[in-house]
Amino acid sequence: MIELINLEKDYTNEELVTPVLRNINLKIAKGEFLAIMGPSGSGKSTLMHILGFLDILSSGKYIFQDKDVSSLDDDTLAIYRNQKVGFVFQSFNLLPKTSVWENVRLPLLYSGGLVDEKKVDQAIASVELTHRSKYLSNQLSGGEKQRVAIARALVNNPDIIFADEPTGNLDSRSGTQIMAILQKLNAEGHTVILVTHETNTAKHAKRIVRIKDGEIVSDEKNDEQIIAAKTELVK
Amino acid sequence: MTYREIIKMSVRTLRINKVRTLLTVLGVIIGISSVMIIVSAGDSMKKLVNGQLASFGSSLIQTETRVPEESGGASSQASGIVVTSMTLDDREAINKLPNISRSYANIIAQDLLSWEGNIKKTIIFGVSAEFIDIDNSKLAEGRFFNIEEDDNLARVIVLGSKIKEDLFGNSSPLGQSIKINKMNYKVIGVMEPRGSVLFFDYDTLAFVPVQTTQKLLLGVNYIQSISANMIDIKKDVETKEAINALLRERHDIDDPKRDDFQVSTMADAMDILNTVIGAVTLLLIALAMVSLIVGGVGIMNIMYATVAERTFEIGLRKAVGSTKKNILRQFLTEAVIITILGGIGGVIIGALVTYLIYVIANSYGFDWPFSISYIGILISLVFSTLVGLIFGSYPAKKAAELDPITALRRE
Repeated sequence: MIELINLEKDYTNEELVTPVLRNINLKIAKGEFLAIMGPSGSGKSTLMHILGFLDILSSGKYIFQDKDVSSLDDDTLAIYRNQKVGFVFQSFNLLPKTSVWENVRLPLLYSGGLVDEKKVDQAIASVELTHRSKYLSNQLSGGEKQRVAIARALVNNPDIIFADEPTGNLDSRSGTQIMAILQKLNAEGHTVILVTHETNTAKHAKRIVRIKDGEIVSDEKNDEQIIAAKTELVK
Repeated sequence: MTYREIIKMSVRTLRINKVRTLLTVLGVIIGISSVMIIVSAGDSMKKLVNGQLASFGSSLIQTETRVPEESGGASSQASGIVVTSMTLDDREAINKLPNISRSYANIIAQDLLSWEGNIKKTIIFGVSAEFIDIDNSKLAEGRFFNIEEDDNLARVIVLGSKIKEDLFGNSSPLGQSIKINKMNYKVIGVMEPRGSVLFFDYDTLAFVPVQTTQKLLLGVNYIQSISANMIDIKKDVETKEAINALLRERHDIDDPKRDDFQVSTMADAMDILNTVIGAVTLLLIALAMVSLIVGGVGIMNIMYATVAERTFEIGLRKAVGSTKKNILRQFLTEAVIITILGGIGGVIIGALVTYLIYVIANSYGFDWPFSISYIGILISLVFSTLVGLIFGSYPAKKAAELDPITALRRE
């Protein structure tokens, strides 16, 4: 489903070029639960943004469902963000002073045509928040906010769900709940790509790709013993 | 995204920031209501002036003295130069023209009128006896002077309603003698109230035979104007030319630049006044437009603040699939809703103030009509929408072009 070939990303600021990603080669198949792990500044979030059509690469190729993403225009990328992927962010990124229901409905507004309200209800039900539908986003706990964000990511039934440090702002109990939901979604057939620097979070994934200084340093199936050892190496 | 959703979303956003929305709308209300008040006042002014001119009768053709162009024209006249070449003989000659039925001459004097210790400085309108038949002024009591009294320099006077009130109060002045310049003038009539016509209050005038005014009050031989009735108003251009030719011959004028008189019909006067009112209205509209533009800049300012404040929201919308066009539409719709609200509010306030002007003007004796210009309303609404589109477009474009990643980091 996803293939990255020699992908590179630089940030240019007043002629100062900072390389962020170097020679990334990666294949992700449909239905995978992949964790991209790495310390702060390693380039993992940038990689997720590129994979999620929020950012563009500097060189190399990004093939998504047999299409070269570099050849897609802005409007098509917006459609991809709307239909193909869903995002769960560390800081929830919910609209303030807006109800749970309206937050979850947001992607449907940009799907063209009339909004299917049943989809909103189903997505909210899937994260067990039906009783909070009419609450404003700022009236929820951290865990509940993140579940709303997952419902929003799910509402358009995307192929991939990207989760950027989804447990980073949560207590351990809420974090476990969120990871359980992501595992459930993966079991239902969604591809889940998790970005994290936490071993405990990454252990829920079936495959772990480690990044250091913009380069992939390992790409392995999940084995908790290996994680512990490799985390030390990355540090 | 459907337009219905965009409008719903924009209204919701504007309602969240009620005070800010209200203040921005207020800026537009001031601009729109100013335009509407000025357009409506201009319209009322035209109707008022045209109505007053029509009260003179559309068949009226007026010949007035004027300082010849080569001697300085209107500016010399304003500085006090008096043209003394027009006489009652000119009136007789004009009366003989084929399209003229009758006329009256006039000359204006100013003097003190006194009766039993009451003294009033008054404009004395020296007119021919035919004045009462040609002009729309009506007698309330008594009679107007006749041709014989005019020819015999009779010391008779007809009072305007206010002068009568000032000197005699509620008692009848008929038969009483008023002293002007140490001579007695017998009051033979009182005019009905007429009010101000072209800012000239007829009720404060006193009417004296033209020859009496010339000989006894001023000691002059000239007159200032001749007002004549045309038989066929369609022949106004020919009649004007005939008077021009006649007076040039009588005054030995071979070059129109040396004309010491000016002939004008009511149509000419209406044209001139309408042009002047139109120009003044346009100038005022232009000034009011400045306030609208200031309102527009206010919108731009607020929209910029909104974009800055909602950068995260824009990033989020883009992350979940909004196109640039959707963001642009959303912010433009917000700006246009503000200006449309301002437009509607401006029209309502404008109509209320226009009504207030109507009530106040009428209470001061002006026959001011209540006029709401529908074109003014249409222009106001179209212009307000345009202001929203123009001043909202740049901030909206800025919002649409925000990079989603940068925008999301602004949470």
